[in-house]
Amino acid sequence: MNNGNTTREITLTVNGRKRTVTIEVRRTLADFLREDLGLTATHLGCEHGVCGACTVIVDGATERSCTQLAVQADGREVTTVEGLNGPNGELHPVQEALRDHHSFQCGFCTPGFVMAIHGMVEEKKAGRPSPCSRAEIREELSGNICRCTGYQSIIDGAEAALAAGAGKES
Amino acid sequence: MAGGSAISGLVGARVHRKEDRTILTGAGRYVDDVQERGMLHCHFLRSTVAHARITGIDVEAARGLEGVVRVFTGADMSAITEDLNFAQPIPGLHSPAYPAIAHDVVRYVGEPVALIVAESRYLAEDAAALIEVEYDLLDPVVSTTAGLADGAPQLFEDVPGNVVHADEQLFGDIEAAFAQADHVVTDSLDQHRWACNPMETRGGVATYDRGSGQLTYEASTQTTHTLRFLLAGWIRQPIHQLRVTANNIGGGFGLKFSIYREDVALCAAAKAIGGTVKWIEDRNEHLVAAGAAREEQLTLEAAVKADGTLLGLRVTMLLDAGAYPINPPATVYAGLVRTTLPGPYKLPAYQFSHKIVATNKASYISLRGPWAVETLVRERLMDKIASTCGISPVEVRRRNLITLDDQPTKMVTNVTLECVTAAETFEKMIGMVDLDEVRREQEAARAEGRLLGFGVGTFIEPAPGTQEFWAAVGFPFGAEPLRIRIEIDGKVTAFTPQTPHGQSHETTLSQLIGDELGVGMDDIRIVYGDTDATPFSMLGTGGSRAATMASGAAVYGARELRTRVLDIASHLLEASVDDLEIVDGIVSVKGAPGASVPLGQIAMGCWLAPDQMPEGTNTELEYVASYDGEGGGFSQASHACWVEIDQETGKVEVTRFLVVEDCGRMINPAVVEGQVVGGVAMGLGGMLLEHSAYDAEGQFLSATFMDYLMPSAPEVPEVEIEHLEFESDKVISSRGVGEGGTVLAPAALLNAIDDALAQVGRGRVMATPVTPTRMLELLGVIEKA
Ligand code: FES
Ligand code: FES
Repeated sequence: MNNGNTTREITLTVNGRKRTVTIEVRRTLADFLREDLGLTATHLGCEHGVCGACTVIVDGATERSCTQLAVQADGREVTTVEGLNGPNGELHPVQEALRDHHSFQCGFCTPGFVMAIHGMVEEKKAGRPSPCSRAEIREELSGNICRCTGYQSIIDGAEAALAAGAGKES
Repeated sequence: MAGGSAISGLVGARVHRKEDRTILTGAGRYVDDVQERGMLHCHFLRSTVAHARITGIDVEAARGLEGVVRVFTGADMSAITEDLNFAQPIPGLHSPAYPAIAHDVVRYVGEPVALIVAESRYLAEDAAALIEVEYDLLDPVVSTTAGLADGAPQLFEDVPGNVVHADEQLFGDIEAAFAQADHVVTDSLDQHRWACNPMETRGGVATYDRGSGQLTYEASTQTTHTLRFLLAGWIRQPIHQLRVTANNIGGGFGLKFSIYREDVALCAAAKAIGGTVKWIEDRNEHLVAAGAAREEQLTLEAAVKADGTLLGLRVTMLLDAGAYPINPPATVYAGLVRTTLPGPYKLPAYQFSHKIVATNKASYISLRGPWAVETLVRERLMDKIASTCGISPVEVRRRNLITLDDQPTKMVTNVTLECVTAAETFEKMIGMVDLDEVRREQEAARAEGRLLGFGVGTFIEPAPGTQEFWAAVGFPFGAEPLRIRIEIDGKVTAFTPQTPHGQSHETTLSQLIGDELGVGMDDIRIVYGDTDATPFSMLGTGGSRAATMASGAAVYGARELRTRVLDIASHLLEASVDDLEIVDGIVSVKGAPGASVPLGQIAMGCWLAPDQMPEGTNTELEYVASYDGEGGGFSQASHACWVEIDQETGKVEVTRFLVVEDCGRMINPAVVEGQVVGGVAMGLGGMLLEHSAYDAEGQFLSATFMDYLMPSAPEVPEVEIEHLEFESDKVISSRGVGEGGTVLAPAALLNAIDDALAQVGRGRVMATPVTPTRMLELLGVIEKA
């Protein structure tokens, strides 16, 4: 039988590095990042597009990596949490803001929130409409589930990250 | 906000978490991040029916699929494992043993019927689709009442009448209490099944070393040592050849406190294959099969005086245990509910009976404050007593609460209360709320056609509880160990049996040790999650023990090493021990900083040349401390909840939520507040959104996050928190705070909803969850389904 291993060659950029790989067509982007590239910061909380743990940035927009195939990222640019840190492992301003506000507990949802908040900050920096009030930030983050924190501390951190414009570089 | 470099006064400060760099950069090692060379992937085929006899299973096609390494049927698995047996010598407990993979009868949708091991998860799932299982359907039992009915289908031969355990206990003269009563107030609640749902599901990676015969299981667990010792017997592995580890854990909430049949099957498979196998549960499996909690029905009958004074209470509880027992035994849940239910109130007489019933559902498991229903029904009852007696919910509590002046005193369940400040948290909270204003706002809203409600509640929490308390429950209350070592360069390593999964123990234990030993946060490492390294404890992280117990072990351990170091330093510096201090890793004579010796220098001497250290000193810089809890104690809190109910859509919005909590001395207020808010969010979500629902055939209806609704940021209110921080005279006066929010928030919420319903002349909530549909039924907008 066809055991699903039809493959295709794709070229994409992940965290600034261009790669050409031959990959099973049915492989999700999340599995490709986590298992094939070892970029395990991107987490899988539901694998059906609800929890946001797998959020990455594709061509500048936040997207779920669990509900798209790696081949769909052909020719695109993907950024994961691993792509945010400075050359010597310095925390990104968004990460600093979240640390300063004790935003997280177990950390499983965290990379998804970091990317979602990073996306919000970038939108703001680009002058596009972005959330201002806490209620708006809550709405904006409604696609990310955290079971530990009750969100308040995450909103605190996101508010600070947004207020600071959170640094210059992305 | 202090950073990691503060060197004293760490306890009580909002220091940055040591855990945060790892989790914010995604550098953690959660179990799904583990990749070993040659690692194989597992998938469980699961029952699609609730109750059936397996009459055939054909795995040949699956075995023939390229990339499939092994397929284990139930029979294959039972040949290499023992049945899981959680039975304990508890009178009247019927705890059936069961196989890791079913081979005879399936008893819930989601029960494993085969395990496929393949080169990838994709291939394992392909293979599962090729397996044919023949089921001879049996009638399912989908509720406690159905399970107890005459002629009900029997789940197990060794659980007569489907009753896992039944008991009745009497405290005080209950007959006299009812004979004197001016009012008898009755109430009931039917709580639905809801689930822990940590964002990281279950899973593990098992590696069998064919050379040494050692098996290593890297698990997502709250309790490495218990997992190890139960696993050893069931997979027939000598325990000294079994190591259980855990690194980052993506939440547990009680779920990861037990060992599951999947753990057993996975480890047995690794052993049979002689390599590394990995299983990561997907969310669908998790929702269906990992177990859920809270499905209890209670009825209450209170004898009260005309002024609202409690005289006696009769309670019955039916607990829907699902099909298979897990750890701890169901009697522990019943014991917890029974023992805690009188709460911080004066209650002279009490009768509690329970029946725990087996049904065709996934197991009933622990969920953050597994006894929570006691607070939910008691606090609702207090409101009902208030309305019966014509007094306010505040007044009825004031008339019955035990205050600090009343203590020490004994609960009717024979548990001594000391330093319990539930009444004080309640008064503080009421002082922060303008009750007249609340009523005026409600009236003004009603005039506009809007409906507002306000509710309160108060409680005590065994966090960690006392010897007496746990004896009454029927569960051991062990001491907590911690191994601590001053390394050769003066840095500190401590080994704890706690298995933190969000509770920030790396931070809080470092704060405590840092203050005791005068070393900075960055110079301390907390090792957890390795049975080869950490001292034994049955419990791991659960039951809100760590704040008291692990803290105590850390403080006593650090103090012992401090005593040894100062003794040595007093010889070296020719000063009295009392005149010495340790600051930032330097031991010096107070007021004479020139006279000093680095901790690292003392440590180097102790490790490398102990015979050259001052005579008569103890140069052993590693010590295993054990802390007995100094009798233990309770946490307490009071909550107030404001809701607005949309009478057209039935949506309940929590518009304000106030918590006044007292967990004694806070080690890190930011950590405490995170636990409180997270707990409240979970309690509110459980009441309003979440439901592990089954249909009449025992089919599971909530198998995705589209059906099982988790609270997201817009649904959770901002939580206002006030701390009381009552400190006892014990060395450790910190109490646990992880579970309380989830325990008490549902009570304040339902009281607020009932308050709103009463304003429009409608009856109270009698069953949960309070979904929009149920709310519209309660409001009389739609017919009851
Ligand atoms: S894992 Fe992708 S949204 Fe949940
Ligand atoms: S911090 Fe645990 S799920 Fe968000």
